Amino acid sequence: MSEPMIRLSHVTKTFPGQSTPAVDDLSFDIAEGEIVVLVGPSGCGKTTTLKMINRLVEATGGTIEVAGTEITSVEAPILRQGIGYVIQRIGLFPHRTIGENIATVPGLLGWDKGRIKDRVTELIELVGLEQEMKDRYPSELSGGQQQRVGVARALAADPPVLLMDEPFGAVDPIVRSRLQDELLDLQQRVRKTIVFVTHDIDEAIKLGDRVAILNVGGVLEQYASPAETLSDPANSFVEEFLGEDRSLKRLSLTPIGSVELAPGPVVGPDATRSEVDAAMAQHGVDWVGVRTGPQLDGWVWGKDVTDTAGGATPKRFSVWLTPEQSLKEALDSVVSSHTGVAVIFDDESYLGMLSIEQISRHLLE
Amino acid sequence: MIAQTNDSFVRWDWIWSHLDLVWEKVVEHLILTGIALGVGLAISLVLSAVILRWRPAYTPITWVTGIAYSIPSLALFAFLVPITGFTILTAEIGLVSYTLLILIRNVVAGIDGVDPAVKEAALGMGYTRRRLFFQIELPLALPVIIAGLRIAGVTTIGLVTVTALIGQGGVGFFILRGLNRFFSTEIVLGTMLSVILAVALDLALLGVERVLTPWSGRRGSAT
Amino acid sequence: MVWPAGVGHMIEFLGDTVVWFTEHWDGQDGYLVRTWNTILLSGLAILTAALIAVPLGALLGHYRRFGVAAVAVVNIGRALPSFGIIALSLPIIIRIASHIPNGVPIFGSGLGFFPAFIALFALALPPIFTNTYTGIREVDPGTVEAARGMGLSEGEILRTVEGPLASPVIIAGLRISAVQVVATSPLAALVAYRGLGRFIVDGFAVRDNVQIFAGALLVAVLAILTEAFFGLLEKRIVPEPLQASGAALGEETVVRPAA
Repeated sequence: MSEPMIRLSHVTKTFPGQSTPAVDDLSFDIAEGEIVVLVGPSGCGKTTTLKMINRLVEATGGTIEVAGTEITSVEAPILRQGIGYVIQRIGLFPHRTIGENIATVPGLLGWDKGRIKDRVTELIELVGLEQEMKDRYPSELSGGQQQRVGVARALAADPPVLLMDEPFGAVDPIVRSRLQDELLDLQQRVRKTIVFVTHDIDEAIKLGDRVAILNVGGVLEQYASPAETLSDPANSFVEEFLGEDRSLKRLSLTPIGSVELAPGPVVGPDATRSEVDAAMAQHGVDWVGVRTGPQLDGWVWGKDVTDTAGGATPKRFSVWLTPEQSLKEALDSVVSSHTGVAVIFDDESYLGMLSIEQISRHLLE
Repeated sequence: MIAQTNDSFVRWDWIWSHLDLVWEKVVEHLILTGIALGVGLAISLVLSAVILRWRPAYTPITWVTGIAYSIPSLALFAFLVPITGFTILTAEIGLVSYTLLILIRNVVAGIDGVDPAVKEAALGMGYTRRRLFFQIELPLALPVIIAGLRIAGVTTIGLVTVTALIGQGGVGFFILRGLNRFFSTEIVLGTMLSVILAVALDLALLGVERVLTPWSGRRGSAT
Repeated sequence: MVWPAGVGHMIEFLGDTVVWFTEHWDGQDGYLVRTWNTILLSGLAILTAALIAVPLGALLGHYRRFGVAAVAVVNIGRALPSFGIIALSLPIIIRIASHIPNGVPIFGSGLGFFPAFIALFALALPPIFTNTYTGIREVDPGTVEAARGMGLSEGEILRTVEGPLASPVIIAGLRISAVQVVATSPLAALVAYRGLGRFIVDGFAVRDNVQIFAGALLVAVLAILTEAFFGLLEKRIVPEPLQASGAALGEETVVRPAA
């Protein structure tokens, strides 16, 4: 493996007047271009650890290296100008316009005016805001918009590393979900090394390439990808922290498209009663799907079929899913339908069905 | 006001004919006020910086300036006269002492009132402590500081009239002379001028605040 | 031992002051009588102001009327120069006295007690009024509503709920007002009142530094004692849990920009 972007070696932090360290002998690496989420209960030192990386908190023991350089060998303000920092309360400067806020670090670094102007324009577009907001003041923006500006501001000088401390904690769940999606999208484009702190395990699973689960005192209980952590928790603490719906969480990580779909008990509209019975018997159900063209018309109870399947009026499937959606959504559809299956399609044609057995089988592999 | 008897309460013709004297005294008044506020603000900023660096200094400093504030103005000038005589210096020492308590209070409170998230974000982005103070904390504390300046200013203008008793006075000159000569016009003139100057200073500082804080004028959708 | 010349003068000066205090305590022009006169004048001014401003402020605050006026009152009060007010009271009293039959015997020649009293009374009103108004008005509306819901009359609410809850702010207002009045009272000497201010004013006239200094000392001590007195009053009257919510030494709380 090439040099890690961030390396913590035996990092310890004991605050003055405290007898137990907030973080005790913590070591781990973060590779370039990955999102690592630090997650854990209150008092686990996740925020303290984050802040030690940009020296807002000075470690009392151990070393931290960023891009191969030990952080104590550089003046703290200089170090921080090279690391993006986003916090929950954002901290936009109320007395500066949005544009001026974003231009802060480039200004500190002495970029020339033209370059700064272009960069601001670029970033405003990158985070999905309107250009005219450049001249507004923070008090005129909504919470979600302000948080986007916070991210733009952190990325302004194009730092290789981005530190984020519970940045989406203060917005409502709908906005939060959108911001998370946008962050992932952004990461596809800019590929930064991101250290993200949260107390929300679902957020950690959704965002992290790797997840570091910390226990009180900065003890690293497990450091692995979300899928691996969910399927193989290291110990009972991790298990408990992941929650009782561990398997369901795993399902949310897998897209439907990665699983083999069954064709399902599907017949044409001129299928006879016996063909219908055969299809039902083959799949062990008491209904059939009816299909004329590329899409499914619907389904009918076997007992309602008189001469042909097309004779009875087909009932519509209430939920249709695409391959990009997760197995968790498929499961939700399965448990709430009469038919006990999830129906999958893409733009115009029917692709297959998923039953609960198929979903479970995936978990057990 | 009071009904006229044989003598008008206020003789406007007298005022009209002495406009250059009025102007002279108004200028004197403004100079005395200006020096007091300027020096007072400078000292307050220094003391506030000390307090912000070292919190325990807050109590003793406010205690001392508070006592200075409690001492009646006439008494304060009286204390100083044996030492510095009937001079501008005496007047200014007294006037400046009265501004200190409120200015220090407001400067400290203004800086303390800056949103901690803004400070954390600024430090996290690589601001040095010095740049943080001058570019972030001070501008954001400006409204509260100017509010303090307005109070100090209005109070000082009133106090400058008292300095007439030690030979300075600004428009207090008219009040004192009017009192000694039983000439009500001058008393009214002096008092009115003092009020006008106080209101003018208050509005002027309010204007300065509006100009210096363009961001607070707009009322946005959030907050 | 060699003292610098300045220190020697200072010690001599202080010695003279001490001597002055031993010599001038008695008689109509002694400082004991004058201190009492000052206390009398200030006390009456504050009392009268309180008797008017507290009920008025409480009533208006309770019914939430004229809020703008309350703020304006304090701002106007601050802009009025106390020196000017006291000086003005002289011709005003003279005018009034000359219009009322037998006015002159009652109000005197316009000098002395009444002009000073009127002026100090006017000075005392704004802080008491504004603090009472604000204090009562800012009592948590939820608490007031609960009391109303329990069946208390408006008057009872004012006396038993809003009053005690607003007491720190009200007493702070009384304190600020009292200190202001005592601080301005020396100026009463200018309208021939025989208070402590006389020592200072007369001392200025004859350039008697010792008298000036002694007078100033007496006045300063009185002011500080007034501050302390109200501090104690606050401890007595304000209910335990609310203590220390009034302003600290000498001053109104930090001033926020006017909305």
